Amino acid sequence: MESKFPGYRLLPYLLIFPSVAVIAVFLVVPFAQAVQQSFYRTSPFGTTTRFVGWDNYVQIFSTPEYLRSLVTTVGFAGLVIVGGLVASLGIAILVTRRIRGLGFYQVAFIWTYALSPAVAGIIWALLFDPAVGLGTYVIQLISGYRINMMVQGTVALLIAATAAAWNMLGYNICFFIAGLQNVPKEFEEAARVDGAGVWRTFWRVTFPMISPTTAFLLFVNMVYAFFQVFGLIDVMTQGGPGGATEILVYKLYRDAFIRLRGNFASAQSVVLFLMVAAAALFQLRVATRKAVYSR
Amino acid sequence: MDKEGTLKRALLVIASLVALGVGLAQAKTTVEFWHAMSGSRLAVLEKIVSDFNATHPDYEVRAVFTGTYEETLTKFIAAYRAGTAPNFVQVYEVGTQTMIDSGAIVPVYQIPGMLGETWDWAQYVRPILLYYSVDGNLWSFPFNSSTSMLYYNKDHFRQAGLDPNKPPTTWDEMFAIGRALIQAGVVTNVLSFGWPDWQFEQQLAIHNYLYADSDNGRAGLATAVTWPDPFSVKVFTTWTELAREGIFLYGGPEYNANSAFTSGTISMLFQSTSSLDGILKTAKFEVGTSFLPRFPDEPRGNSVVGGGSLWVRKGQRPEELRAVWEFFKYLSRPEVDIFWHKGTGYFPATSGAMKQLMDEGWFAQSPNHLTAFLQILSGRQDTAASIGVRLGPFVEIRDYVRTALEKAVAGTLSPEAALAEAATNANRALREYRELVQ
Repeated sequence: MESKFPGYRLLPYLLIFPSVAVIAVFLVVPFAQAVQQSFYRTSPFGTTTRFVGWDNYVQIFSTPEYLRSLVTTVGFAGLVIVGGLVASLGIAILVTRRIRGLGFYQVAFIWTYALSPAVAGIIWALLFDPAVGLGTYVIQLISGYRINMMVQGTVALLIAATAAAWNMLGYNICFFIAGLQNVPKEFEEAARVDGAGVWRTFWRVTFPMISPTTAFLLFVNMVYAFFQVFGLIDVMTQGGPGGATEILVYKLYRDAFIRLRGNFASAQSVVLFLMVAAAALFQLRVATRKAVYSR
Repeated sequence: MDKEGTLKRALLVIASLVALGVGLAQAKTTVEFWHAMSGSRLAVLEKIVSDFNATHPDYEVRAVFTGTYEETLTKFIAAYRAGTAPNFVQVYEVGTQTMIDSGAIVPVYQIPGMLGETWDWAQYVRPILLYYSVDGNLWSFPFNSSTSMLYYNKDHFRQAGLDPNKPPTTWDEMFAIGRALIQAGVVTNVLSFGWPDWQFEQQLAIHNYLYADSDNGRAGLATAVTWPDPFSVKVFTTWTELAREGIFLYGGPEYNANSAFTSGTISMLFQSTSSLDGILKTAKFEVGTSFLPRFPDEPRGNSVVGGGSLWVRKGQRPEELRAVWEFFKYLSRPEVDIFWHKGTGYFPATSGAMKQLMDEGWFAQSPNHLTAFLQILSGRQDTAASIGVRLGPFVEIRDYVRTALEKAVAGTLSPEAALAEAATNANRALREYRELVQ
């Protein structure tokens, strides 16, 4: 340190102090409080507090609701991540071709990201309103079957996941376009000359070349599907029907702010933190290592 | 010298202006009021508040819309814990026991005495008084009380060849009329509920069945809910059966189902009387209202009070309490009470307002405004089951009941299993609450 700032031993610490302070005040302290809270139970107005030991954690793992919420979250995240990434890679490949009106298509596909999840939720909730939704009507015309996302749990989950993936489409496409444009044309041409088909060229040449982008998007989408879809779920389904779209982060909110069980929700947040931390570590270790960074 | 004089004079003027400003600000006491009145109710409430402020130059009530009832209650709790709570807050009937046990409020019956006044509490209509009283003393100020009733589309009844003046009285008739409306091709779904968790409470109450032990939590903190018992299972089974036939369409929480009714997608709706003016304004058909359908072979109880009341935070300065109390007295003036009733559909809370409305022929002019009121006044008021439920973790328990209903109508769980699952959660919540509050 000193070699970089000769004569100013304390300056580096002073310079990073603001960032550290912000992180401590807004992240570290609340997190420590959440951990502490998770071992207590408090009356709604905070007048009485009891130490309950591991009881909140025992409840997490002994109630079927939490397990169900976990399964829902994994299913939801799977749909959003896999479905969303496949769709956006497909679209990105199409809009990097040399076609007329390329700029228009690129913008048209990217702008969905400009909408906040809550706004996307309103649009999709209206589209699939059981009584007056256009989407409900079109599906009934095609299949003769009337869907009702206020009653059918699977339908609600599928629609919410589609909405969430759609909302993220623009962001993913942006990065995939950038990734694809960095793949030198010579490699693909060389593969073609060697007799590789379009499919084989893509899997053996293009896909490995954009793997850093894919690894990055995988991580971002995971965080998105776990945490940032809160507004979308809140607007579209409020976790219903019958808890079918109650993903972990939404369950945590409902337990804390609707059911007024702040301590139980704190315990959930600690568990959720551990799960996401484990998943992130795994991704950084495995996915990033497998990604090909050099040409 | 001249220059200095000008400066002095200017300073003097500024100082006196500042003093004047401070004086004015001190003379005026501002109190904050958090409420959950959305939709057409909001404009009516804002008019009442601004009229109060205009006629009471010494006081200013700042009304702040803080989201749904659930959100308003949670925000109030969070604000109370942070020391930034408003002077008074509107809480829905579900939060009553939580507020009573909170230690955060002044019961309204004590306020006149604290200010050296007396107040005639008997002027409020009986079911409201009973619901919000502990040992005969009123704890929150009656404001927006309602109950659930049946709304129906008279034009749809005519199109199906049904008598538009004969809405269903029993659940059997609900099946018959529902089938007739579907067979005539008028609608594909017939009935939906606003506040479905509340409709469950209403069914128990109108048949005089308890919802929880300890006299619905009115004789002491409840230890367990009564369901699933044969009657509650019967209610759930009836609704599930109606859903299976396509008659009942689950419409989501709170006021979500209203649009299906006003757009003519369905023909009948159970909803709070407080939606009346909103529905009358939006519906392009003749709206009829009636009592909730019953099981004729079951005992009679009463529909229960819903809506909200006003709770006063404790630890206020005397002049703030005075301002709050002046506003409350203003709300109970017949003309203000009448304006509120006519604009929203909520009950007139005082018998004075009631008499004046009758004298001017309002109920003959708009009979739909009388339906819910007649229903609750004609029911019995002498049992805990008919007066209403009071539970500490009621907000949470309602959430479980709604989930249970969603699972039952979707067929995910049998009516009995769905209720049993909700009961497990509800009883756990009651136990935890008791352990903390006792």
